[in-house]
Amino acid sequence: MNANKKVSVKSLLLIVLAMVMVLVTACSKGSDSAATGNADEKNEDGTYKNNLTISYAGITDISKAKLDDKFHKTFSDKFNITWDYNYVDWDSWGEKLRLWINSGDLPDFASWNYVNGDAMNYIDQGLFYKFPDDWKERWPNAAKAYASTGLGDRLEEKVGGTYVLPRPVYFQNKPADPLLNQIGVIAIRKDWAKEVGFELKDAYTVSELMEYAELVKEKDPGKVGSKLIPMSFNAGDILTGFVMANNAHARVESAFYKGEDGKYKWGPADESTLTGLKLAQQAYKEGLLDPEFYTWKNNEGGDAFKVTGISAIGGLGGLASYRQDMDTAMKKNLNLNSSDVVHEALILGEDGKYRNLEQVNFWSSIVFSPNISDEKFERVMDMIDYSVTDEAQKFLNLGIEGEDWKDENGELVSLLPEGTTLEDKYPGRFEGLYVLGDDFSVINPAIKKEFRDRSVELYKEKATLSTEGNEMAAYDWDFQLYSSKAKDQANFTYETEYANLILQKGDLETNWKNWVASKQSIVQPLIDELNSEFAK
Amino acid sequence: MKPAAASPGQAKGEESKFKRLFVEIWKYRMTYTLLIPGLIWLILFAYLPMGGLSLAFKHYRANDGIWGSQWIALENFKYVFRDPAFAAAVWRTLYVNIIKLFITFPFPILLALLLNELRMRRYKKVLQTAVTFPHFLSWIIVSGIIINVLAYDGLVNSFLALLGLPTINFLGSEQTFYPMIILTDIWKSTGWGAIVFLAAISGIDQEQYEAAQIDGATRLQQMFRVTLPNIMPTVTIMFILSVGGLMSSGFDQIFNLANAATQNVSQVLDVYIYRITFQSSTDFGFSTAVSLFRSIVNMVLLLLADRAAKWLGGDGLFR
Repeated sequence: MNANKKVSVKSLLLIVLAMVMVLVTACSKGSDSAATGNADEKNEDGTYKNNLTISYAGITDISKAKLDDKFHKTFSDKFNITWDYNYVDWDSWGEKLRLWINSGDLPDFASWNYVNGDAMNYIDQGLFYKFPDDWKERWPNAAKAYASTGLGDRLEEKVGGTYVLPRPVYFQNKPADPLLNQIGVIAIRKDWAKEVGFELKDAYTVSELMEYAELVKEKDPGKVGSKLIPMSFNAGDILTGFVMANNAHARVESAFYKGEDGKYKWGPADESTLTGLKLAQQAYKEGLLDPEFYTWKNNEGGDAFKVTGISAIGGLGGLASYRQDMDTAMKKNLNLNSSDVVHEALILGEDGKYRNLEQVNFWSSIVFSPNISDEKFERVMDMIDYSVTDEAQKFLNLGIEGEDWKDENGELVSLLPEGTTLEDKYPGRFEGLYVLGDDFSVINPAIKKEFRDRSVELYKEKATLSTEGNEMAAYDWDFQLYSSKAKDQANFTYETEYANLILQKGDLETNWKNWVASKQSIVQPLIDELNSEFAK
Repeated sequence: MKPAAASPGQAKGEESKFKRLFVEIWKYRMTYTLLIPGLIWLILFAYLPMGGLSLAFKHYRANDGIWGSQWIALENFKYVFRDPAFAAAVWRTLYVNIIKLFITFPFPILLALLLNELRMRRYKKVLQTAVTFPHFLSWIIVSGIIINVLAYDGLVNSFLALLGLPTINFLGSEQTFYPMIILTDIWKSTGWGAIVFLAAISGIDQEQYEAAQIDGATRLQQMFRVTLPNIMPTVTIMFILSVGGLMSSGFDQIFNLANAATQNVSQVLDVYIYRITFQSSTDFGFSTAVSLFRSIVNMVLLLLADRAAKWLGGDGLFR
């Protein structure tokens, strides 16, 4: 009996101890999350006194990177930083950051795909670090790039301070005015076009492209056989190439727009959206698209053009760097000189007008954890400020002077061996934290001049065509900076919705009308809100 | 009219019932002590997180936390019920899972009965391992394999083409989606599900088989007259539990096998919750409201199935 009592008391004590341990573990907070810190200290020669371990979440894959190579070391030594890099896969970027931000687990700073509704929400909740009021004076280069985005100042007005650094797409090398989004440039096999007697132009209507695809399907100039995919478009390319070409307001970025009467409308319900859908369905039924295009992820569509070489038309995009990547891929996989076989062009709507989105000058953003210490924040800002300077931009995009590039009478010349890129030499370069690579790609000698020139030419062509046709979807700051529950709810993945309509059985027009009607209960409340807030 | 007061005898009976229970617990206190870690786990990880359900009635702000966020009554539900995709997802979930339940549920029982009849122990073990193995593969891997096998240029269609037969659009057809879901579910879960029934079979008193043999029962008759009736309580409980999960469909499976073409048949409630939580702007209050609705329906279904089982003369989940 006594023995039993002892055992019982012991076991009860053990259980209580275990409970306490569980509770302590569950309720304790990581000691490193405290937001303490002193101002960043420097040595007399301007170098940093303390080595800081800084955590960063970014979408650059550094699995192949050697963080002690010359490139990475230059930055980590200059700023005396030991990186704790958290790679975030593109597909889970939004989800992961959402969870980290909401749970207070954000690394010291992160690359975040800016969503206005979320931004307002997070700022309101104090989930982002608030910049010191004098930050623009302390980091003037970064402030200049920040001002070029257009978003920064507007957001500051709304929330009363700086919490987000929108990343500028272009800073020093804007290719055209007005600037349109880089999307909507396609690549055409010009050798096949010649063989089937198809004329090369700078812009084609969707029907003209389908004619070319039909010709290729019929004559198979590349002797591809049953594997041929005349148009290797995935769901996203179909949205851009078929639907947006006919209605600039068919995309999520511009779906809610102010009509000529000053009232808000929903673009996917416009008749011109149906025009694009009909063409896409026709292309699908005629076997011009891949029968399973809707299962394609990321690069699968593009790979059919540049890796396996089984496609006559592929989505490309307007950046010179994309064209360079295509060149490298075609040489490597198909042993083809892409300059001989690729023609880049724009897509016009069936009425001959060009449609695209006004390029707002930012894409994604840099945000800081509210728990970051002042010392770490200042160190990162120093690095960002440096990264936008001419000297740093050359280093980030060209590598080491004299080794990877040289300046010949003001002309930048790449010294990298033919066919190699800076990414091959220094993989996982994530240090270009602020200004996007698009800016430098306009002048980057690592990209062939003909590609850079063509890219600028097409940007200019887009600007001319959209000015003439007056069909550009202007960036609506009122709508973009508006946030409400109704707006959050009326958020659809249009490429999936359109792909589903294209593939549905029955009459497309009836299906589309039913689809539009089915969305009204969540679309109309937002339209009503927008009209009451902003309508003329 | 005054409600009838409980009779003193009734109250005394209740009191003595609790007393008996307490005496019973005290008597076997060492055994009951073993329950405590499980109870702690249950409280920490099942009951305490239920506090988070209050988010369904709040405007959640991470900084204010679950308890500090502002109460907004039923506003989240107003938005939930406004979305036609929600109602469609609810009906679709019930539809898919009822079909799944009635088709897939008998398979593990059948497999357990058949495995029990195997006399070669080694063969039985090998077979059981083979049928249980798919359970350990994640749906991401399984769906990857299935997509490769059933694609236009996959194994099945290549074989059909070789025979000169027309190819079939398995992945992009609404008609083939549910059969694909059900067949893959049977393949993946039958072996694992059979373990519970095999355990129940192993607990059957062998004397019943000996008596049946003396009475001249064949093996098939023994299976249906001895084995099956003996495992019926387990079958009933497993069925009730399955009914209780009717609103929670296999998210991993459907999410990984779905695509734009099958969107209209694949957006079940779990996929809907995922979409509103992670693909639109974050609104944890909204998604918790949907989850709470799902849990309530699940609970109602569970209680109904329990009642039905008792009404039919079987054992229920709750005594």
